[in-house]
Amino acid sequence: MLSHPRFLSVVRAAVGQIGLVYGLTDDSCRGVTLAVDEAVANIIRHAYKNRYDQEIELNCRAGADQLEFTLVDRGEPVDPTRICAQPLDEVSLSGRGTHLIKATMDEIHYEQIPRGNQLRLIKHLSAAKVNVDGTDRSSN
Amino acid sequence: MERHMGSSTRTEKGMTIIDVVGQIDLGSSPALRKTLLESLKGTDRVAVNLIAVNYIDSSGIASLLEVLKEARQSKKRFVLFGLTSAVSKVLQLTRLTGVFEIRENEQQALEA
Repeated sequence: MLSHPRFLSVVRAAVGQIGLVYGLTDDSCRGVTLAVDEAVANIIRHAYKNRYDQEIELNCRAGADQLEFTLVDRGEPVDPTRICAQPLDEVSLSGRGTHLIKATMDEIHYEQIPRGNQLRLIKHLSAAKVNVDGTDRSSN
Repeated sequence: MERHMGSSTRTEKGMTIIDVVGQIDLGSSPALRKTLLESLKGTDRVAVNLIAVNYIDSSGIASLLEVLKEARQSKKRFVLFGLTSAVSKVLQLTRLTGVFEIRENEQQALEA
């Protein structure tokens, strides 16, 4: 998709539905949605410097016990030392997005790959999960 | 279809109230920020009704913070009310619930 903020609502809708299908609680679903939204927003603002005509890849892979969202951009690489949450005892206007991602996802992996910058956000699925066909397998 | 974001302004008992609807994100937060900062110019008391806001991200929070700072600098009152669980959760995660003046509903927000 293009790096335009208008696509954020599309991303949220899709991620939210994926979370529901894979049995996340409402709270976790909102958290995952927020995290992916924040990640895309960070790419738009920082990797692409608010250029709205660049490309962002977003993929989701569902494993037996986790949901993995992968974002790839071709913008400026992030300084790993700056991927740090804003100290939240300060009333600052920046840095909270990263904190929200860290607060809601179970694993975060950032690396540079041949085609750009890759961010992987992983949410562990709870024991009480639902098959895609709607059956509850937690009691099996 | 989920509405993106909209706002309207009214006055109650001398307080300017901005009713916000929809989702506040990177795309819509600049407009909200502008509306709130403009509203501060014409009054000493501004309340933001968030009862119809079902999503807010860090850019929305940053906009609210910026307005709060401006309000404090000009010694004006800036209060949030009607927070949905989605908004409350984000404020909790960013540890900002103690920073803003928050009221449960409009009546409480109007009481000074």
